[in-house]
Amino acid sequence: MTQPVHLTRRFFLQTSAAGVATTAAGVPAFAATSVNFQLSWLHSVQFGGSYIAVQKGYWTDQNLDVSLSQGGPNAPVEPPVVSGAALVGISAADYTAAAVAEGAPFKIIAVAMQKNPFAIASLADNPVNSPADLVGRRIGMAVANTPVLDALCTLNNVDINDIEIVPTQYDPAPLVSGQVDCLLCWETDLPVAMTVQGVDNTTMLMADHGYALHSQTYIATEDALANRRADLVALLRGEVRGWNDYLADTDAAAALTVEMFPDAGLDPQTQKLQAARQVPLMFSDLTAEKGFGWFTEDTVAANIETLALLGREVSADLWDRSILEEVHG
Amino acid sequence: MTMLRPLLWMVAVLAVWECALRVAPDNLLISSPSAIAGYVSNNAALLARATLETSVNAAWGFVWGNLVAVILGTTIIVFPRSERTLSALSLLVFCVPLIASGPILRVLFGPGSGPQITLAALAVYYTTLLALLVGLRAVSQSWTDLMRIYDRGPVSTLIRVRARASLPYLFVGLQISAPAAFLGAMIGEFTGAERGLGVLTLRAMRGLDTDATWALAFFSAMIAMAAYGLMGWLGRRLVGYRPVILLSAPAAPTHRSACMRVSEIGFIIALVLILWQLSMDAFDLNRYFAKRPGDVWIFLTDAANRNTLLSALAETMSFAAPGYLAGLALGAGLAAMLVLWPALNRAAMPVAVALRAVPIITTAPLLVLAFGRGLIGTTVVVAVMIFFPTFVACHQGLRQTPGQIVDLFRSYDAGRWHLLRAAQFPAMLPALFASARMAVPAALLAVTTVEWLATGKGVGVLMAMTASTSNYNMLWSCVAILAVVAMAVYSAVAALERAVLRVYASEQLS
Repeated sequence: MTQPVHLTRRFFLQTSAAGVATTAAGVPAFAATSVNFQLSWLHSVQFGGSYIAVQKGYWTDQNLDVSLSQGGPNAPVEPPVVSGAALVGISAADYTAAAVAEGAPFKIIAVAMQKNPFAIASLADNPVNSPADLVGRRIGMAVANTPVLDALCTLNNVDINDIEIVPTQYDPAPLVSGQVDCLLCWETDLPVAMTVQGVDNTTMLMADHGYALHSQTYIATEDALANRRADLVALLRGEVRGWNDYLADTDAAAALTVEMFPDAGLDPQTQKLQAARQVPLMFSDLTAEKGFGWFTEDTVAANIETLALLGREVSADLWDRSILEEVHG
Repeated sequence: MTMLRPLLWMVAVLAVWECALRVAPDNLLISSPSAIAGYVSNNAALLARATLETSVNAAWGFVWGNLVAVILGTTIIVFPRSERTLSALSLLVFCVPLIASGPILRVLFGPGSGPQITLAALAVYYTTLLALLVGLRAVSQSWTDLMRIYDRGPVSTLIRVRARASLPYLFVGLQISAPAAFLGAMIGEFTGAERGLGVLTLRAMRGLDTDATWALAFFSAMIAMAAYGLMGWLGRRLVGYRPVILLSAPAAPTHRSACMRVSEIGFIIALVLILWQLSMDAFDLNRYFAKRPGDVWIFLTDAANRNTLLSALAETMSFAAPGYLAGLALGAGLAAMLVLWPALNRAAMPVAVALRAVPIITTAPLLVLAFGRGLIGTTVVVAVMIFFPTFVACHQGLRQTPGQIVDLFRSYDAGRWHLLRAAQFPAMLPALFASARMAVPAALLAVTTVEWLATGKGVGVLMAMTASTSNYNMLWSCVAILAVVAMAVYSAVAALERAVLRVYASEQLS
């Protein structure tokens, strides 16, 4: 009786010898730097560009081994980044400003969503098309987002006391069941879910009414900016390449997302719709000219104004474009 | 025939449910049995993988949590002086809300199943500990005297006498905690897990995928019920009998001066603060999100912060109290109903287990939809959360009414109401009070969750806002104040318990 090849002594000796040889000779080629990249929410095409970067090896090309950690309702982004467990996290300008005010040494190093994704979603037969339409309506939202609504009201001369705020969980059910007239939510999630379920709805993007706030921003600590620049550049470079591919074919990005996370229970149609819908938020004339993730003194100044309405006094120092300049340079 | 009747009932319920939805098909929030079945069959592989993931984590958490409970329980028996301190610490750890522990666990464990397993363990250890402690004490005096005569120490008594006596109680504890482990593992997935039933539930709710939401709720309930049934069966197989009493009163206070009591409380508080500081320092947790006692103290010296916290606490308590009382009444009431009409047993038990097993995050929105965002809605959610352990304990308590007494009532032709009031209800009191103590942290957990999801008031919202404001000082202040409230209410219930049991069940206080 012959043994299977892989169990013979000779095979074992050969393979282990080969293993020793590669370890001895191949260190520089294989010693990729491992970094954690903390996403802000559950896996979905929201992070499609990053998945493309993984699949096409845009990070391994640069000797960077990136693990994508997903977020969740009880998985805030800031703690792992501040403690060094993640090199980069996906945050938003208001969250970052708050964290910095509480003593976290963060900088915004790139901006994925040029336009803030917050929107007011309503049913098509009872639509909210402008901030003035909010008067006398019931809005479902997390109470934590009250400053956001307040800022929108201030920007558009609406008295927030004329709007009835109903605290709801972040799901479309209260709107569909008629508990509220509209929802404060992201342009790219709950409205898409309603559309897929056949609920005719409409959205009003807050960014179109003066609410200028960078979202899906890349944050890193001052320490990382000082000591791990090469890794940061490599990570952002992979992101930029991934997101450029994403723009070229959002359907492929959606398909890849569904395929990469078979255990996530993602619906292909929803992902496809969401992928297309976030393009106008992420890509603009500015990014066409300067490259993905770019920001300017003007966009930063507009952000600082909106942040002031949210009760956050920040300076332009919160943003640091040096990594991005190296990536696009 | 006995198997057939519940089956027929189930079919009837499903048929009515299906027909009701056929009549009103516009309903986007309630799913029909056929749609649920459709979702399950279309996503069988996905569900199987998610179920396996969550179950394995729950099982590990169950093992670790109960191991800790056994270690704590035996320590308390061998060193009785450590009881107050260890019990207080166990209760405090049990009270730390997920929103505070989640980020810490994720930073400590990194990606993987560490947080899920830890949260499952945290969900079970306290229940098991309480049941086990009663069991370890449920030995007759003559046995312990015998051991003493032979000059055997507490360890020897533990191994030869108490361990055997505690088994049935341990199994009751394990049985109640089995659904809790599953729930803990699901909630643990909210800290950024890659897969599992909790992750699917989150997505289904946001995606307005009603069929998926209901299928997942149904699935998790079935598994939790299976775990409950399995532990019950194991208990019967291995031990052969159910314990006569489930949970008894806390040890009677020995005669201690006021001065001693105050110094004991002072000692426990000092110990908690030191452990809080040292454990965070030991893991080198960043001060930005892992606030130390000193940070919280400085934060609370600001009167504005203190006022915000205290007014939120007042709101929380005004919502928690009615739910807490309603849950206890419901649990005890259902247990009493089952004694009056034993035929209800088969129908009620699975519903009771299921209600507890479906994660609050899924049930809360539906309950809020049905009962509103005000006091009634909150009361219902809190009541649902605490009613199950109360029900199980009271059900056991009612059954421990001594047989001779029941026979005596029967021979005088007393009605079942009379029997319940005069004999069975007093027999149930120890179990009811034990559940009332256990329900304190559960009620606080439930009310803060509803506040976050539905009412937008109180301490729950203060804690939830941390996600966007990074105000971790406020979060840890909330944790501290909730722990203080839990300890205070717990002690108050224990004091009330001793007073009532002195009249109705003095043997419990010996």
